[in-house]
Amino acid sequence: MNNKKSTYYSLIALTIGAVISWCFFQFWYAYHFFFQEQNQIFLWSRDYISTYCDKPGGLSGLIGDFLTQFYYYLYAGAAIQSLCIWGIGMLLYRALVNFKVGHLAAVLLALFVMAFVSVCHFSTSYHLSSTISILAWTLLLWIASIIRNRKLRFTMLACALLPFYLLFGRPVIKKIQAPDLVLEKDFSVDCEYHFGNYDKVIKMVEGSDKWTDQMVFFYNLAQAQRGELPDHLLKFTPTQLGTFYRIGPETPMLTIRNMNKLYWALGDMTFTERAAMMTNVFSNNNRNIRMIRRLAECNYVSGDSLAAEKYLRILDKTFVYSRWADNIRKNGKSIYQQKMQMVNHHDTISITDNAHFIMMQLLDANPDNTIALDYILCSTLILKDINSFKRDYDRYCMTTNKPRLKPLYQEALCIWLAGTEAPPEEWEKYIKRPDVFKRFQEYNQQRGSTSFKDTYWYYFDKIKAPEI
Amino acid sequence: MKTINHIISLCLCFLMLQLTSCTPTPENQTKVDSLPPIYPDYCDVTIPQNIAPLNFLLRADCEAIEVKVGKMTINAKGNEAVFDMNDWKELLQQSINQSIEVTISALIDDQWIAYKPFHWQVVTDKIDPYLTYRLIEPDYEIWNNIQIQQRCVENFDVNALGHYEQLENRCMNCHTFANQDPQLSMMYVRGPNGGAILNQKGQLSKLNIPGSVYFGFSPTGRYITYSTQKIIPAFHSDPSKRLEVYDSKSNVYVADMQEHRIFTSPLLSDSLKFETFPTFSPDGKYIYYCAADSVSLPNDIKQLQYRLVRIAFDENTGTIGTQVDTLFNKRSVCHPRISPDGKYILYTVADYGTFPIWHPEADLQMMNLQTGSIDSLTIVNSAKSDTYHAWSSNSHWFVFASKRDDGLYGKPYFCYVDKNGKAHKPFCLPQQHPTFYDNNLKSFNAPEFGKGKVPFDVEDVAKAMKQEAISFK
Repeated sequence: MNNKKSTYYSLIALTIGAVISWCFFQFWYAYHFFFQEQNQIFLWSRDYISTYCDKPGGLSGLIGDFLTQFYYYLYAGAAIQSLCIWGIGMLLYRALVNFKVGHLAAVLLALFVMAFVSVCHFSTSYHLSSTISILAWTLLLWIASIIRNRKLRFTMLACALLPFYLLFGRPVIKKIQAPDLVLEKDFSVDCEYHFGNYDKVIKMVEGSDKWTDQMVFFYNLAQAQRGELPDHLLKFTPTQLGTFYRIGPETPMLTIRNMNKLYWALGDMTFTERAAMMTNVFSNNNRNIRMIRRLAECNYVSGDSLAAEKYLRILDKTFVYSRWADNIRKNGKSIYQQKMQMVNHHDTISITDNAHFIMMQLLDANPDNTIALDYILCSTLILKDINSFKRDYDRYCMTTNKPRLKPLYQEALCIWLAGTEAPPEEWEKYIKRPDVFKRFQEYNQQRGSTSFKDTYWYYFDKIKAPEI
Repeated sequence: MKTINHIISLCLCFLMLQLTSCTPTPENQTKVDSLPPIYPDYCDVTIPQNIAPLNFLLRADCEAIEVKVGKMTINAKGNEAVFDMNDWKELLQQSINQSIEVTISALIDDQWIAYKPFHWQVVTDKIDPYLTYRLIEPDYEIWNNIQIQQRCVENFDVNALGHYEQLENRCMNCHTFANQDPQLSMMYVRGPNGGAILNQKGQLSKLNIPGSVYFGFSPTGRYITYSTQKIIPAFHSDPSKRLEVYDSKSNVYVADMQEHRIFTSPLLSDSLKFETFPTFSPDGKYIYYCAADSVSLPNDIKQLQYRLVRIAFDENTGTIGTQVDTLFNKRSVCHPRISPDGKYILYTVADYGTFPIWHPEADLQMMNLQTGSIDSLTIVNSAKSDTYHAWSSNSHWFVFASKRDDGLYGKPYFCYVDKNGKAHKPFCLPQQHPTFYDNNLKSFNAPEFGKGKVPFDVEDVAKAMKQEAISFK
């Protein structure tokens, strides 16, 4: 009776352990699952599956990658991971009890291992395949424990060790680390932006008490999608537009991925494709499902249907994205109609990935590209390069007769006009908002006052420009 | 518990049914007057007697497929046709110098469709059994997990000559043989303490040949001719053109592998010209290369036109001639490669520049060196880039990297040149799994034929990398 009771309580303890793990990962660490899912690929194809046979541990890799693709769905990531951890705990506990270890010691040890594996999952470079591998080895231990005959048990272990090693390999254990909740926040804005939830991104960043470069980068990108980048550019300083990054061999993968997002939003398909390919190169096994999608999209937009089809075919073989691929084939034209109009078909060649130059090319090809316009103007303003701002404003707003009357731009124009001692007709030509003009006069009387913290004049006078 | 047992029993029954159910065979076929949409495109191609099975898939949503090749019949569920290796070998041996009819029927929407038959012409002339190539993402700018592999084209065996795991994830490139001989070859491993890894009958040594990029062996193997270049990557704003690569400086040199000395001629290293892609003629009497007048780059890149030229070379004395002959000067020429029998020179022509890999208009051309006539190889070329070619030792086959399928990922294609110098429709390197190319995200770069398997492996290369490099004077 006591034995049954102990078993019962132990099982409850292990289940509670797994539920705690699920709760933590689901409510505090869920975006890590999206990162894992989007940073790999699993294809339901004989050819692809056969590649898992190349190395020891192929089966755990196969099962791990197969399950990881379902992290895409809400709650699935934490559920899959917690189930595996629960399985490890249960098998280990049963095995220890079978080996005559006391119930309390067995359950404590099992809980410890469960906690350890959970902690391993804090690291982005720890994959589910390692947990599957641990699960498999624990299963072997449990099988050994139920064989009463000692000779038989050793024979079974001797026979099973090599096949188990070949199938499940050696689990890759990570250095113990605390959960990276800052990175989780970075992933959260990245993911929500990726899913098109721009309002949510803005809310998340504005509701946060601390901001990272990544958060501000996506905040700006989300505002740009709503046409409100200049209205919110100075909300967080130092701000992060991404236009001063350069991609090279030393660039972190997340930065390259961000550049992909930026170029896609700007409408430059050459650099979108380049950043997508480079993200692929630095992803797990050189494959990244998000980038495969993006490669399909950018080739579709630039009219390269053969290249787009290459990636859509890959997506056809996934469980999660095959319907997406189908939809692009059927409705791509209407989905990407706006993007397709932004594509630059005028060919020039440059040896630099200088974003300013890229944006100039995009605007020369399509002056209605508001996102590129806001990014080019905001980038020069961040650097306090008023002359370049004025040059670009003239080129893309004045000569096209489409003045962009955002307060930020009007404020910057005030600086240029005042600095050049422009005649009144010039002021009239550029400054169309009397409220800005009135405030500028007030600012000049209280230069540097924090009551003007929201203005470009304050930024210009008081905040340090980024060094590039 | 009973319910669980029922579910398990049902699952087992379903599994058994799946395993034992018969593959449907054609009945009441509807004939269509079009070739089957197979991938890779193996319709009406000429193949050597020693090629691996041409496994393919039908680009159609079909439930089952029947393929009749001569007397052999394959019935399979799905859209893949995979041949048994032994049956295939037997079929080819029985069909030498014959044309085999291939008939494909597919079950689509409960209706059997019989496509128009096509033929495989099996020729006696064998293809060199080994192919080496580099697997790299098509971007080429940065790399991760590069491999140089050697594949036996008679079956599906692959072995790595350079593998990122053993070579600290370095860049590796250009594995080239002397006369397709696996006993004499060279490849580069870049990065700190990198160098050229020379293989002489399996003995590997590391050479420090400063700045060497493209190279070729002389027939005796004593010399190599190589180019040095300052390579600049550039970007097109038109996304269909993608990447451009050009040299801001390039010269041609000769390295004496016996005396470890380097020499050149003012004609090969003219500061007002770009010289590149050198290769020896099979008799060793000439160095063929490409030369262009320098222009302002990148602005005038479309005026950058390389000519196909040659200069005399004496292998006995190691001296370079004093006159440069121009053989071809229309558009921009790259990668000249001469057939081992000395009859033909194969090269790429593009509208401009020196990096045809990203030029969709880049096509192969073949010049008869005896008559000077030029074959534009219409049957060989495609609407995408076709370039980076190499000859088989019997001069009847060449391999080239083509981006014809998707414009992005280069794949090796083999082309037969018959005794009259006529090129036949090329075919893609067969793979064990017909979906291989669909799933693959690496380009096959710089394919080269070899008469045999190289006598070293990646571990030997890793050991050679630790050696002190032999310097050249």
